[in-house]
Amino acid sequence: MIPVYGFLEGDTLGILLLLDEQETVRDVIEKLQRSSRLRVAPREGLSVVHLGVVLDLDARVADAPIRALERIDVMRCESLREEVGPR
Amino acid sequence: MSPPQGIGDYDRVGIPRDAYLDLARKLDWEFSYVREEDAFPREICGEPYLPGEAWRDWDEPFRTSYSEYVAMQAAKNADVRAVRDAVGRVEDFASLPRSWINALKLHGAVLPLAEFAAVVGNLRAARFGRDSAWRGAALLGALDELRHTQIPLDLMHGLVRLDPQFDFAHRFYHSNNWVAIAARHVADELLLASDPIEFAIATNFVFETGFTNLQFVGLSSLARLVGDRAFEKVLTSIQSDEARHSQIGAPVLEHVLAHDPAYAQRLVDKWFWRSFHLFAIVTGFAMDYLTPLAHRTLSFKEFMHEWVLEQFVASLERYGLSKPWYWDEFVASLDHYHHQVYVSAYTYRMTVWFDLVVPGPEERAWLGSKYPESFPAYEQVWERVDEAWQKADVGNEMAVHGTAIIGFCNLCQLVLCHGTPSENAASTLEHAGRRYIFCSNPCRAIFEAEPERYAEHRDVVARVLAGEAPGNLAAMLREYFGLTLETWGRDVHAGDYPWLDRGKPSARGPA
Repeated sequence: MIPVYGFLEGDTLGILLLLDEQETVRDVIEKLQRSSRLRVAPREGLSVVHLGVVLDLDARVADAPIRALERIDVMRCESLREEVGPR
Repeated sequence: MSPPQGIGDYDRVGIPRDAYLDLARKLDWEFSYVREEDAFPREICGEPYLPGEAWRDWDEPFRTSYSEYVAMQAAKNADVRAVRDAVGRVEDFASLPRSWINALKLHGAVLPLAEFAAVVGNLRAARFGRDSAWRGAALLGALDELRHTQIPLDLMHGLVRLDPQFDFAHRFYHSNNWVAIAARHVADELLLASDPIEFAIATNFVFETGFTNLQFVGLSSLARLVGDRAFEKVLTSIQSDEARHSQIGAPVLEHVLAHDPAYAQRLVDKWFWRSFHLFAIVTGFAMDYLTPLAHRTLSFKEFMHEWVLEQFVASLERYGLSKPWYWDEFVASLDHYHHQVYVSAYTYRMTVWFDLVVPGPEERAWLGSKYPESFPAYEQVWERVDEAWQKADVGNEMAVHGTAIIGFCNLCQLVLCHGTPSENAASTLEHAGRRYIFCSNPCRAIFEAEPERYAEHRDVVARVLAGEAPGNLAAMLREYFGLTLETWGRDVHAGDYPWLDRGKPSARGPA
């Protein structure tokens, strides 16, 4: 399991997510939305940004590559700016 | 011979105050049997380390003799006791608004034992301050802080019969509650570990001059409006001490500015941010959420502008200091930070020792008028909370509660709540093979300036990952945060709000 800090657009705080290396980026979106659903309504059309790069939804976490205690952002596609920098 | 009872005794023996006070304040002499650096070691006294002679013009604006101090404090204590006896009984508190009672629990846990830590900081200055007048003033400051511990603890102890959550007035700093971890992180450094110079600039100048008016004047005015005369009296009595001993900060600051202005600016920058975090939660929650709407006057942001931005900036300018480098970020956070933390804490209320309330439609309208640029984003989150309560039975707290583990800043140890809901300000950093996360640029910069001071501290997440703290919420509440079924936080009204559509079929969607 890989612990990472997840930030869902519209939410008020960062969540610690435990990612399975075999799960997909799409699964990560669902996991974070589930963790934040009390504050933010689940929705479609989201992307994961890691170190300034928009990740392929079908990629596995192991291939991303996401390392322990890094930050990932789950954002609406329309919020993605052309220049997304690392955080 | 009976001991002196106050300044009157000295009048009887015919020695006017002004004839002896300077002699009593200034008692330093040249050392002949030891070196000055042995009597006042550099590592304890702090930087800049100046010859004793350089401190001899140290002068506090409020000169107080011990005799005067005893007379004044005895009179103030008698006032507090009289008010408490008249209107500070359990029955008096039981009639106050329930949300307000929780502002008391928040204040009562975070501040009184921090004041006790300030006794230590003052006593260090009473021994290692470089001028005898500074040491004398710090000794009175230590006695003040002891009083600031005892008075609220005494009041809150009596209220445990009303509500067991008041037990956290004493228990809080002895627990591993996440807020206590954060509060200890700042209080240990500010009050227990700092040398007298850093203590004077950080505590006396920044914390007490800059911020305590917010809590002790601003909140006491709200206490009066709410009808909580006992708490109002406690706060105003404490503030009268703060106003005096905060004056220690300015003459120390003047000496540091004369020899190392960059260090003085760095201390101001660091402690302004750390102090702001503490008051944004303790005072921000009380002013914008826990005080009933009918009794609110100004918003937290307006109080901050009046008491902190205008007055403290004037103080900085008076000493030729600049606003902290993150000023724009700080001002922007007045629209967001405490709202973010409050709604986050609401959705994790069982992790704290006080109850929280959902702002109703009129309160949201008020918050929207006070924070027109930012509150709409938080209103969306509150609407989501409404939806959850509509689907849940009254009192089913877990149905409207988070279960995921939340992230904490590796500097302030508070939840990752800076920036805005659309763009959280957190950032990560690799240092000495470990990855850290910070809620904001100032927290990150404070860490990077002195990593040796902070790097070893483990936040709640690190404790969970190390197996030191349980990862399961229920186990964490009981085994690590020190909470029980009787003391963990709930919704003040158990979710039974008149504006919810509970009961209407349309409100009950799928689980």
